[in-house]
Amino acid sequence: MKFRLLACLSALAMTAGLSACGSSDSSGSSGGSEELTVWVMKDSVTDSYLDRFAADFEKRHSGTVLDIQIQEWEGISQKITSALASNDAPDVIEVGNTQVAQYAESGGVRDLTGKVGELKGEDWLPGLAEPGRTDGKQYGIPWYAANRVVVYNKDLFEKADIDAAAIKTRDQWTEASAKLNSGGTQGIYLPGQSWHVLAGFIWDEGGDLAVRSGGTWKGSLHTPEALRGMDFYRELQSHGKGPKDADEAEPPQAEVMGEGNVAQMISAPGVARAAVESNPELEGKLGFFPIPGKSADKPGTVFLGGSDLVIPETSAHPDLAYQVVKALAGDKWQTELATTMSYVPNRASLSGALKGTEGAKEMAEAAPGGRATPNSPQWTAVEANNPIKAYQTRVLTGGDAKSAAKEASESIGKTLNAKSS
Amino acid sequence: MTATVRKNPVVESPPRPPRRRPLPSVPRRIAGLWPYLLVAPTVLGAAFLLAYPVLRNLLISFQYFGMRELIRGGAGFAGWDNYREILGDTEFWEVVRRTFVWTAVNVVLIMVLATLVALMLQRLGRRMRMLVMSGLVLAWATPHIAATTVFQWLFQSQMGVVNWVLVRIGFDSFEGYTWFAHGNSTFAILVVLVVWQSVPFAAITLHAALVTVPEEIYESARTEGASAARIFRSLTLPMLRPIFGLVLCLEVIWVFRCFAQIWAVSQGGPNGATTTLPVYAFQVAQSLHRYDLAAAASTITVLLLVTVLIAYFRQMYKQEAEL
Amino acid sequence: MSAATGTRPGRPHTLTGPGAAAAHGGTGRKAQAKRRHGRVRLRRRLRRLPLTVTALVVLLCSVFPVYWMVLTAFKPTGDIQSETPVFLPTSLTLEHFSTAVRADGFWIFWRNSLTVTLGGVLLALIVAVGAAFAVARMRWKGRRGFLLMVFIAQVAPWEAMLIPIYIISRDTGMLDRLSMLTLIYFMITLPFTIVTLRSFLTGIPVELEEAARVDGCTRAQAFRRVTFPLLAPGLLATSLFGFITAWNEFAFANMLIIKNQDDRTLPVWLSSFSNVFGTDWGATMAASTLFALPVLILFLVLQKRVATGMTGGAVKG
Repeated sequence: MKFRLLACLSALAMTAGLSACGSSDSSGSSGGSEELTVWVMKDSVTDSYLDRFAADFEKRHSGTVLDIQIQEWEGISQKITSALASNDAPDVIEVGNTQVAQYAESGGVRDLTGKVGELKGEDWLPGLAEPGRTDGKQYGIPWYAANRVVVYNKDLFEKADIDAAAIKTRDQWTEASAKLNSGGTQGIYLPGQSWHVLAGFIWDEGGDLAVRSGGTWKGSLHTPEALRGMDFYRELQSHGKGPKDADEAEPPQAEVMGEGNVAQMISAPGVARAAVESNPELEGKLGFFPIPGKSADKPGTVFLGGSDLVIPETSAHPDLAYQVVKALAGDKWQTELATTMSYVPNRASLSGALKGTEGAKEMAEAAPGGRATPNSPQWTAVEANNPIKAYQTRVLTGGDAKSAAKEASESIGKTLNAKSS
Repeated sequence: MTATVRKNPVVESPPRPPRRRPLPSVPRRIAGLWPYLLVAPTVLGAAFLLAYPVLRNLLISFQYFGMRELIRGGAGFAGWDNYREILGDTEFWEVVRRTFVWTAVNVVLIMVLATLVALMLQRLGRRMRMLVMSGLVLAWATPHIAATTVFQWLFQSQMGVVNWVLVRIGFDSFEGYTWFAHGNSTFAILVVLVVWQSVPFAAITLHAALVTVPEEIYESARTEGASAARIFRSLTLPMLRPIFGLVLCLEVIWVFRCFAQIWAVSQGGPNGATTTLPVYAFQVAQSLHRYDLAAAASTITVLLLVTVLIAYFRQMYKQEAEL
Repeated sequence: MSAATGTRPGRPHTLTGPGAAAAHGGTGRKAQAKRRHGRVRLRRRLRRLPLTVTALVVLLCSVFPVYWMVLTAFKPTGDIQSETPVFLPTSLTLEHFSTAVRADGFWIFWRNSLTVTLGGVLLALIVAVGAAFAVARMRWKGRRGFLLMVFIAQVAPWEAMLIPIYIISRDTGMLDRLSMLTLIYFMITLPFTIVTLRSFLTGIPVELEEAARVDGCTRAQAFRRVTFPLLAPGLLATSLFGFITAWNEFAFANMLIIKNQDDRTLPVWLSSFSNVFGTDWGATMAASTLFALPVLILFLVLQKRVATGMTGGAVKG
């Protein structure tokens, strides 16, 4: 054991020495190969994208090997925390935009303020750049943004004689879903715990998940507006067989869609690609439309999701890690991200790349009205033990909405107001 | 140093027949060192991986220790703040209450069922007994995670076999019933799971204790006209008592501390309906990153468990004294 | 003690057996005797019926989940998803097993689990034999204190020590290492192993050892040649318990293996299988079956010894 420790220490010293003399440009070490670990979230980008990126990066930085590891969303906060606290963290980590603040505050993430200019940061999407900033310092580098649209099965719509383009309001939407939901077909696959979708409906009604007044947070799921949002969710959910006690990850809804008997699902356009991957017969048969709003003139409000990239303080190869971030956030791979995954690129000037990609137009239509979760570093704690999901399930399985909402609101308020030590 | 001052422990041993003479071939002092050498690895291991973590945990419970402190160090002293915070939290007391209910329900069910199964095993023919025992062993040996997965599959709402059977025998309301959406039904499933996993051990152990009673004693009691109930009360029960107590204590420990199954099935949900103390501590630490509060909660958990089991420890200690 | 379990000679209630009935009937009237014989047997069967039914119910309850797991693993996907569950296999397929086995890294995780578990259990056995011997056969100052410590260690709140142990591993450079997991599993199983082995040792008459020593063996030799073989069933039983505990362990494996994903163990991997296999219950059950397999086989093969071992340990407690 002692020997191990020694070996470790000397290895550490060696790498420190290496990175100290390595230039910030191109490959740091010309000698033995360096392994960089990159954590990417499950379903964020396709395997083929990652493979191409890794091959390209390794070619440009000879002697480097990229070990890209896919992480599950479940328990991710524990995982990232223990990684940040370790002495040899992964070199680059993808972090949900709402979660960067928490890690940045903890001091485990490298300050990249000095690189903002080089990365053309003046042009970043505010929805990604702002959460990545704490106390005027930039910790998270924007990677991509996406919001939810309705993905539909063209064949099933045709069979039911429904024109997707004509669905502009909630009423039309539920009517169509009800009509589609017959025989072996599910009108819409909406898992009971898709809380981001619910958030959109609540925002549409003028409600919110939590509001802050005078320094204290209050959960607001029990307000009449929010209850109306839930009511619509329940109606929509009933036009399919989405499990009432699970979210979109379990089972992965792309696979459910891939089974071919689901007329619609609500997801980022990229997920449709995963559905096609699981069932190639669906190639070209999936279409998109923005989530309908209350009236025809305005699409539904959506949660603006996305990811930032961070470099842990204890990364053994900070310079190479920065090269990875730079490449992923740079023009080439951003454009590729937009065209293959239909994500919104991290810079407004690149959004031209989205033209002509399926699903992107619909996503862009809704993006201006996009909203974020309540702006508190404690919000991740709410998500980690999500009372909104429990609330949804209770309502969908016949519980009293008002009292369930009240309880969930209290739970949210309590978590948000807990002092973070 | 101490070893030289101390009298040879062998010589010092209580007045028993002098079985163990010091070996003539080995110098006395070394012979006296032997037991210490033999337990040294245990003590060292326990110091590094048990005592030190427990102390560290205790220390954390008196510090402000969140994500920042875990990553960067430098935790400040908090005094009794964490204990005050957790003991003043109504949710905590709710969890404590639930933990006791959880333990009581499970342990009672386990002990009653196990005793009945053990008594049944005793009356079965040899072949049938082996068959049932094999079945019990099968259930016992199934790893927790595998068992948990199987139970989730059994109770699955759409294709689960339990719903199908319930609908088939006339409970139509169970068509597509989502078991894991309701607090009470999730709690019930977890109880079934834990009882299913625990009864075999208890039953087999109790049965083994039962068969140590010579059959002749039962025979003579029967010929003397004792009723079955009486035989059970005044013969079987006293015979079972010590082992029954031991199994009971082990089950209390295991059920009280049960974590993996609950976490895998429900993560303490829905709506906290299955959050017992270990789950609570885990949530506070891993979701809220309040390691200090979690440490305080687990310290309290240990104190509670030890209080419950104090009788067990006392007896263990007494038995040792007699040996 | 050990001979008492499972191999109990004779059955209860032999007084009303067929032999007794036959003795009543004369030798000449065979038919009548036979009829009577049959009636008695029938009556006996009827009387035992509730018992037999209960036994079958217990058997069903304990076996069904395991049966269902294995069956699902072998069923074609169509049968799994059918509206009416298929209780008896119509056709079997290995498709799910091949899905599970081909899943990324399955064999690596399987091997990791086995290494860590066996390592921890063996280490615990070796250390525990020494400690148990010291406690059961020797008199020394601090013996009672030591035993008390071992008893208390059995209630150690392992889940609560995740963070401290994480910190310790980090500060000693043991994060992301299977050897650290091995050490932890060793420590988790050790107290129980010591307690059980001690009971076994106290059950083995010390005179045997002494006789050997009179015959000229050293203490170590006496232990090795006389006591150790008698201890074997105890070792077996305790190691099985250690095995299943370590084989199951999830929280530490999940917390301490961070960057070296190839060092993950089966429980950690299996806990995320919903993400690996999605809606594929067949593959999930196949993976679970493969996970349970080593333990099930060990238990079934060693069943009698396990039961005996448990009693040996527990009764003496």
